[in-house]
Amino acid sequence: MPRPLWKGTVSFGLVSVPVELWSAIRDQTIRFREVHVTDGSPVKHVKFCAAEGKPVDPSEVGRAYEVEKGKLIPVTDEELEDLAPEKTQTIEIESFVAREEVDPIRFDHPYYMVPGNDSVGTLRAYKLLVEAMTEGDLLAMGTFVMRSREYLAAIRVRGQALALSTMHFPAEIRSPDAVPGPEEEADREAVKDAVAIIEELSTDWDPDSYRDQYRARLKKVIDSKRKGRKVKAPTAREEKPTAAPDLMAALKETLANSKRRRRKPRDLSLLSKEQLYELASERGLKGRSSMTKQQLIKALKK
Amino acid sequence: MAPRSIWNGTLSFGLVRVPIKLFSAIEPKGIGFREVHVKDDSPLQHRRICRADGKEVERDEIAKGYEVADGEFLILDPEEIKAAGGDRGKTIEIEEFVDVAEIDPFLFDKTYYMGVRDHAEPYAVVAEALRQSGKAGVGRFTFHNREYLVAVRAQEGRLALHTLRFADEIVAGEDFELVTKKGKAPTKKEVTMARKLISGLTEEFDPGEYQDQYRAAVMDLIEKKAEGKKAPKKRRKKRKKTDDLSDALEKSLAAQGG
Repeated sequence: MPRPLWKGTVSFGLVSVPVELWSAIRDQTIRFREVHVTDGSPVKHVKFCAAEGKPVDPSEVGRAYEVEKGKLIPVTDEELEDLAPEKTQTIEIESFVAREEVDPIRFDHPYYMVPGNDSVGTLRAYKLLVEAMTEGDLLAMGTFVMRSREYLAAIRVRGQALALSTMHFPAEIRSPDAVPGPEEEADREAVKDAVAIIEELSTDWDPDSYRDQYRARLKKVIDSKRKGRKVKAPTAREEKPTAAPDLMAALKETLANSKRRRRKPRDLSLLSKEQLYELASERGLKGRSSMTKQQLIKALKK
Repeated sequence: MAPRSIWNGTLSFGLVRVPIKLFSAIEPKGIGFREVHVKDDSPLQHRRICRADGKEVERDEIAKGYEVADGEFLILDPEEIKAAGGDRGKTIEIEEFVDVAEIDPFLFDKTYYMGVRDHAEPYAVVAEALRQSGKAGVGRFTFHNREYLVAVRAQEGRLALHTLRFADEIVAGEDFELVTKKGKAPTKKEVTMARKLISGLTEEFDPGEYQDQYRAAVMDLIEKKAEGKKAPKKRRKKRKKTDDLSDALEKSLAAQGG
């Protein structure tokens, strides 16, 4: 049964709304289990007490911090909660900022903030927050404590719901300066061409047009194996040599190619069969209704 | 200290090739607690136990299994899992460019920085062109045999790479019953007051003001306990509660004004 990850209130001035936090991620990952190869039986992870050498009941599992080797300081949930009782129960909105000012590097896990109960007052206060924040692309900033960790949170409106993204604290984000960068300024002429290529290849962001090909291929691998077929890893494509290529020539040729390709759809293999079919309809391709995905791609490439 | 690179490869779009190294951009600062047995405070060990014979299983006897039916597992070899990674090799292929601001914050997953590898010229050109256009290149990248959708953009003279979640991995807020449940709507006046309150609290984003104070408090607690002192107790503040939305808004606005 899915459960909320946190229960408490979100407060905004003197208005406070009981809420629950739910993960916004629908896990689509193909899960593997650890299996004992000799008998094909799944393996379970069991916690053993190092001193007694016996399995430990989950109710007897506690937390400790190793201050020095071998010296463990146990810390209870109550002690942790007592450190910041308000923060374990309340997300206080301290300020609002424009979303465009916040670098995407800061966003971590997505959650929804859902009304904590169905009372008239709760639903009304929740709707008030949604409606008041709909105007302007704002993030409400606050902090709270969940599972013994403090989180920085950015709350915004997504559809009819309040969406909460936990954020990395500034101290957790490395400076880009820490990695090797170019020492000399880029050639202006080359930059101009590169900007032109970017403009040519620019498109509206359409998240639905990207499919997880990895997931699809993994499903295929599993299916083939079930049917008793051997699956081999493809050989990686040869990397083109990168040693001092003529950058200007590469830019010029790419620019010419992208202008030619402009009206054509992007990488067809990224599209779903339905999307391919639509394109085929637009182009009036004959026999499209009986084509497989691969046949559609082939026909569209002509 | 310079971080260590985790991957070497090439960023490509069209015929342009940029040799790069990849570095993690995030250093989590969590507190590394260990699990202990509360009875004797001794550390716990994780053991893998075979469900069939109840005995401990060595690591080299463990394979990845996919559950095809209840309790029935299909074992996949590492080679077979590798097959799903595709044939991209060590190339990050950019297919198109989009406005970064259009990407839903929910889709950003992990961030890495790209560093210059071998020669800097193409790197400098691409980083500067992305900076000027304000766009992100969208493409695909295979890392540890797994393929990711990525967005590459300029970040303070460097290139940053975000792995992106797929749209179908995100739940709609409207899937929660209480989000869409009909109820008494707030009045226009209340919404106006709330917006006023918001605009009074709106400020420029200053990341420097956010610090993990709780982490410091936890470390402090651990130190005190290590010295044999008792954990300090904090009294819980009672919040003033009011069920009257208009009243709460008015009082909040008054407090803000004063």
